Amino acid sequence: MRPIIETEVVVIGGGVTGVGVLRDLTLRGIKAVLVEQRDFVHGTSSRNHGLLHSGARYAVRDEEAAIESYRENLILKKTVPGSVEATGGVFAKVPEDEDDYVAKWVKACAKVGIPTKEIPVAEAIKQEPYLNKRVQAVYHVPDGAVDPFTLAIDVAADAITRGAKVLTYSEVVAINKQGSTVSSVTVSNRYTGEKTDIHTKLVINAAGPWGSHVATLAEVPLKLINNKGLLTVMNHRINKQVINRLRMPGDADIFVPAHNVTIFGTTGRNVESPEDFSLDREELEQMLKEGEALVPGVTEMRMIRAFTGSRPLYQDTDDSDSSGRNVTRGLALLDHSTRDGLEGFITITGGKLTTFRYMAEKTVDLVCEKFGVNVACTTHEEQVAHRDAKQFFKETDIAPAAKTKLFHWAGKNAKEIETSLNNETEDKIVVCECEQITWAEIKAAMPEGRFNLTDIRRRTRLGMGPCQGTFCNQRVAALAVEKGIATQEEADWALKDAVTNRVKGMGVVATGETSKQLQMMETIYKVSLGLNEEGKSNV
Amino acid sequence: MHELSFHETTFEKCLKCNACTVNCPISNVSFDFGGPKHLGPELKRMMDHQEVIDDARIELCTLCGTCDASCPENVHVSTLTSYAKAIHAEENGTKFRDLILSNAELVGKLASTFAPITNMTMKVKPVRKAMQKVLGIHADRQFPTYEFSNFKRRYNKKHATTEKKVAYFTGCYATYNAPDVADSFIKVMEYNGIDVAIPEQKCCGVPMFANGQMKQGLKNAQFNTNSLLEYTRQGYDIVMTCTSCTSAFKKEYASYLKTEEAEELAQHIYDADEYLRILHEEGVLNTNFATINAKVGYYAPCHMKGQGIGNPAMDILELIPGFEIQDMAASCCGQCGTFGFKEEKYPYSLELGKGLATVVEELDADYTVTECGMCKNQLDQLTNKQVKHPMQILKTAYEKVPVTS
Repeated sequence: MRPIIETEVVVIGGGVTGVGVLRDLTLRGIKAVLVEQRDFVHGTSSRNHGLLHSGARYAVRDEEAAIESYRENLILKKTVPGSVEATGGVFAKVPEDEDDYVAKWVKACAKVGIPTKEIPVAEAIKQEPYLNKRVQAVYHVPDGAVDPFTLAIDVAADAITRGAKVLTYSEVVAINKQGSTVSSVTVSNRYTGEKTDIHTKLVINAAGPWGSHVATLAEVPLKLINNKGLLTVMNHRINKQVINRLRMPGDADIFVPAHNVTIFGTTGRNVESPEDFSLDREELEQMLKEGEALVPGVTEMRMIRAFTGSRPLYQDTDDSDSSGRNVTRGLALLDHSTRDGLEGFITITGGKLTTFRYMAEKTVDLVCEKFGVNVACTTHEEQVAHRDAKQFFKETDIAPAAKTKLFHWAGKNAKEIETSLNNETEDKIVVCECEQITWAEIKAAMPEGRFNLTDIRRRTRLGMGPCQGTFCNQRVAALAVEKGIATQEEADWALKDAVTNRVKGMGVVATGETSKQLQMMETIYKVSLGLNEEGKSNV
Repeated sequence: MHELSFHETTFEKCLKCNACTVNCPISNVSFDFGGPKHLGPELKRMMDHQEVIDDARIELCTLCGTCDASCPENVHVSTLTSYAKAIHAEENGTKFRDLILSNAELVGKLASTFAPITNMTMKVKPVRKAMQKVLGIHADRQFPTYEFSNFKRRYNKKHATTEKKVAYFTGCYATYNAPDVADSFIKVMEYNGIDVAIPEQKCCGVPMFANGQMKQGLKNAQFNTNSLLEYTRQGYDIVMTCTSCTSAFKKEYASYLKTEEAEELAQHIYDADEYLRILHEEGVLNTNFATINAKVGYYAPCHMKGQGIGNPAMDILELIPGFEIQDMAASCCGQCGTFGFKEEKYPYSLELGKGLATVVEELDADYTVTECGMCKNQLDQLTNKQVKHPMQILKTAYEKVPVTS
């Protein structure tokens, strides 16, 4: 007999949309289980700029997306303050850009209520020294930077404390029906292969680019355009605020600061498979060349790695647009009972990171309507626990850089981290030097389940710096074995998995310093530690 | 905006390999220091376009520059740590003691004016105890002596008349503490038919950079750059007998000021021994040395090693007949300029100096040779061998040559 879980709603997909829906359901008193095929934000939710849109980018072409973005921008700054850095942003016009667009854009922003303020070019360059000195007009907008990792982790954690359940590394293998009504989903544990049945009244497909696949399991048609974008991580933070190009949205026109780095992108190419995370050097080079307009010299700057993710764009009509730029960034909420005659199945797709909360609100409004529940949404006011921890670590003797990170990061783990830092000498070890992460922090953030360095990375930024885990991944693996958190085999597997991942992202940007960094990493792991293809090592 | 969000991009090249930390003299004797990698490139990366981070451990950095020399990627590690010092000074204030110590020139002027009193007072125990208490200068640390007849009072020629012309940047130590070194240098040049001029100059700034007094240090750097360029543009070569001064002009000025002038000047800077070696390579060095039968140990100062010029002092001294000189190949002496005077740094200073002291004892040479006045100060305290500057030996070697008619 398989294990059985009873619930009211199953949410498929642990991206920001899924966790947003899970939290909203829980806040409105509806029992829910979220299933995710890997870890939180494994897909599109972590494979993006991390831009908290002010809406200005869409003002000219997509009024609705612009209005939604600005409204959600203000809400998220208030409700998930621990994951948002209100950096502000600039839109800069370079000589190559159309002159007429500026006035059109200013007017469009005013129309939808997005505040813009022109700043003198000299002042803009003082604020952002890497900005092209030839810019002709610069406007300030209320853009921000959002950390999609902490955002999803915190929103999910909030739902869990309110009674929701989450199953990670659980892939949906069947959506079962009774007649034309969904009755349960079967998930398979990715590590053990063990299957679980979840009995439910309703299934919400929030699987992003995997949405079509999930719909297929429910035997309903769903056409999504998976529009793959390439992004690259600069070796350090080159800007204080978001830098956008003041023109019709196109490729390679946004630089977003993200803690110690800047993320630059992006491109758009339609792909078939949601698993297509392939990286193309030529595409990168084109993107960098285009990026020179905003940040001259970007081609020569050191990059840490590159990555891709797919925007799941929903389009009712069939005329396909290969760039994907003309498809609305608005959300698509599909009730499959009215659309396809299948009861108990809803798809929420499209939309944006910035509007994830609103997507969840609309979805759960529909669920409530179906369930006859009359509870209003509160996620626009109810705050997720802040990450700020400045009142802690006063007496803690660790590197000021590590402390600075904890001040902005520790959040609800602050007390636990503080206690372990103050009492255990070993916990003070800065295991990841690039991002200043102590063992105490890793211990506190260690996810349940199999030891996985990539999951730790999502929760702590372990290995996200220039060395890409050359030193810290082996340290953490060794400590985990020493402390009985992982077996030798599990640690070997985790190392192999993490290194393979990092090598892929580094390879495509590996010119100059990064190629040396990559060589050093491979030498340390493959030669010194003897980590071979099978994942065995001499650690 | 914090004025110390300085523009320096070499940190981008850091591969995190730890070569700098492995070679750092302080990191080798203590875990209290965060290491050059962290306090240099790593910290800078975390501060750019973000909040300034003040790490008090930067006080333990001596700015010896060993990190720069060990970096395979040419990251300007010590430039970054010197800015970390400046940030610390700005955020945390500067101790009165550190202001005094960083102003070697003013101290030199005053101390040499009252030289007999200064020298005697600095040996009086109760005075030193009081100094430790009030100023935080360790009572057991020996001070270099000051000379009333400082070099400025002895020699003040502003122009050279020979074909090859040298402008001598004397530096504080040779001016106020060891004018004999400066005299010897002038003599050595004389024996080679080169006239020496003394340009207008201020302290090179090294003790200021080391104490986080970046603004004052840069002012001095600018003054010296302007003053010395007037000479180089008339065909003078700039020569120095203090390897810390030389290192500042060659490396720090260019790296901190980031001006074309500083780059231009750096092309004309020579350590005295390096300069003599060039003369020798050109076949114009006067090699008419008297025999000196001595077995000596040579100690290379960190700021000499950091210049990447090999070992010119030994190359030149080996030309003296009978002179047997051996490189002691010891790590940092531990005096590190003003560092070793400070009460709380004194234990580190002694720990650092142990290696060198042991080598001196084991070698048991006739005396020790080094260019650096501060290394000499530590050697004077930790060993019982006399310490000489290469110029003093060369002068003797020239002078002892019998006069033939």
